[in-house]
Amino acid sequence: MVVKVDGLVKRYDKLVALDYLDLQVEEGEIFGLLGPNGSGKTTAINCILSLLKYDKGNIEIFGKPMGPNAYHIKKDIGIIMQNVAVFDELTVYENISYFCSLYIKDREEVKRLTQEAIEFVSLEEFKKFYPKKLSGGLLRRLNIACGIVHKPKLIILDEPTVAVDPQSRNKILEGIKKLNEEGATIIYTSHYMEEVEQICSNIAIIDKGRVIAQGTKDDLKAMISIGEKISMEVFRIEEEALEELRRLPNIYSVEHRENLLEIKSKKGKNNLVSVLEFMQRMNINFGKVITEVPTLNDVFLEITGKELRD
Amino acid sequence: MSIQLYITRLKCLVRNKEAMFWCYLFPILLASCFFFAFNNLWKIEYFDTLPIAYVSEGEESESFEQVLEAAETSEGVKMFDIAYCDEVVAKQLLEKGDIEAYIVGSTKPELYVKGSGLNETIIKSYLDTYRQMSVTVTTILKSNPNAIEEGLIDDVMQHDTYIEAVKDDKKPAELLVYFYALLAFSCIFAANWGLDEVVNIQANLSGRGARVSVSSIPKMKLFLCNILAAFTAHFGSLILLFFYMYFIIKVDFGNNLLYLFAVCMVGSFAGLGMGAFIGVWVKKKAEVKEAILTIATLGGAFLSGMMMPDIKYMVATKFPLLSYINPVNLLTDSMYSLYYYDTYERYYTNTLLLGVIAIIFGILAIVGIRRKNYASI
Ligand SMILES: Nc1ncnc2c1ncn2[C@@H]1O[C@H](COP(=O)(O)OP(=O)(O)O)[C@@H](O)[C@H]1O
Ligand SMILES: [Mg+2]
Repeated sequence: MVVKVDGLVKRYDKLVALDYLDLQVEEGEIFGLLGPNGSGKTTAINCILSLLKYDKGNIEIFGKPMGPNAYHIKKDIGIIMQNVAVFDELTVYENISYFCSLYIKDREEVKRLTQEAIEFVSLEEFKKFYPKKLSGGLLRRLNIACGIVHKPKLIILDEPTVAVDPQSRNKILEGIKKLNEEGATIIYTSHYMEEVEQICSNIAIIDKGRVIAQGTKDDLKAMISIGEKISMEVFRIEEEALEELRRLPNIYSVEHRENLLEIKSKKGKNNLVSVLEFMQRMNINFGKVITEVPTLNDVFLEITGKELRD
Repeated sequence: MSIQLYITRLKCLVRNKEAMFWCYLFPILLASCFFFAFNNLWKIEYFDTLPIAYVSEGEESESFEQVLEAAETSEGVKMFDIAYCDEVVAKQLLEKGDIEAYIVGSTKPELYVKGSGLNETIIKSYLDTYRQMSVTVTTILKSNPNAIEEGLIDDVMQHDTYIEAVKDDKKPAELLVYFYALLAFSCIFAANWGLDEVVNIQANLSGRGARVSVSSIPKMKLFLCNILAAFTAHFGSLILLFFYMYFIIKVDFGNNLLYLFAVCMVGSFAGLGMGAFIGVWVKKKAEVKEAILTIATLGGAFLSGMMMPDIKYMVATKFPLLSYINPVNLLTDSMYSLYYYDTYERYYTNTLLLGVIAIIFGILAIVGIRRKNYASI
């Protein structure tokens, strides 16, 4: 196990930011920490890194207890913070090289790794640029390069795609996958469920400092009762017809709003067919039909009763 | 210590344009201002004829009148522009400020002045010399009636010597205060660099601090590299300021330049320590810390006479303790004692006190920096 967090409690004065949080991150996985803003993701990361004091709990990294002086552990961790943290007075190249030399003494090695990191985030053309001259997306990529330049075994990224254009975002996500393929274990925090769904092999959903669900995305979706979402364009439907629809087997909820009929069905076969048959039988006209599998948002919604994104 | 980390940190510092302006350029601008403001007082060539009045005692006074009329500096500038009148009128003229002084009588000439500035002092010195020399002057005049025209009397009176002496006296007392205080202020200005180093290494003060804190380099090692880089960058500014004052505007710093550099070095560390201390222990927003620093450094400079030299003496007599704990004052005092005294006792006392302050601030700062995790970041 790469990271093991047991019963972590962290209070800021009265506010309980982490409430007996448990996490297990296995070697080689991309571990997603998904939760809305203020759910305690950053706090959890800072505790894991021993930047924050915590009230209770145990943290082990690489099987050894983590602490502020655990340099032998720290040397194998790379961290990309939520806020870009680079030196404005140093160029792209110098920044990366500086953060590398915090870990590695050999100057040739530093040069080689710096060059590699620059290529990895495709900042070759911007080597001599100062951070102030970079766009938001490029700056994020610099921030990432500074965190991974020393080839850490465990890479922690705290919301690395906030305020990033779609193109840079895709580059970043691809990069993370690539780092993982090269052997690094990744902890990735985000409040964007699409990203987490896209790259994470194991996901913990947290809310109010607690893990409310954990597993692969299929595990998580299997946890909830919704199996399928059917949306159809329906201009007119009687209240009685809606009632009848709700009474069909396997149907979980039915709502009609602004010409859109939204039907959530439980897991099972032929849900769509039975709905379509029903519509025909009742002589209800309908337009476009869309069916969707549930998202992590539905998982979050069902467990907490609120939307993931506020 | 890692040379590479030190060099990169140094690069960071010297590329910070704002810090460089305040540290390198601003003191030089101030020095230039002082220089232009006091340039007139600075040089003997700028001596101007002084308007005075003479209240005669009749015939007896004639030869003294002649001596006064003929008095001139070696550059040939007439010393006095004399109005002859009675004492009532002379008094009025003095009140109105039309004349610098008036003199009554000749056997024992008496001087009346209003203020106590440079010009008054020059006239007084002239009369003092005349009183001492009057017997000689009278004897010369008796044996050689043309002595005045031949400039013999002026030679005897040696005007230049005491004009210069008067001005020289003024120089350290009033003018050097400004330049010493400026140099001292520049030393303590290092506080800003000290604060910056702390911000950049403390995880609870900046993202960069958090990043270096999670790295595998021991924090004290990095702090040592960074503080030495800050010292280098800052001491460079002191050297530049010193050279500017010494060679360009020719401030007289006496002969003990090595001692001067030594106390500046201690001062620089005291400043760094003070800034680091405030950075670590004042648990307030960055702006508040900066404001406290500015008040502490500028206030220290003010109390040591950078804006008004008299303040320094007032503090020294009324609040002696304050002048012993004010690092700027300890610095200026060290510099004076190098200039004035032949022994180094006072210099050592001041420098030692300054060193103690630097060490206390330094230790307290390090105690704070050694802490590695925080209740809140
Ligand atoms: N330094 C702090 N002092 C007090 N409260 C804080 C501090 N940092 C975070 N919090 C609170 O702790 C909770 C968790 O915050 P955070 O870990 O930043 O959440 P996330 O990263 O998931 O958005 C929030 O309610 C936030 O307001
Ligand atoms: Mg966060």
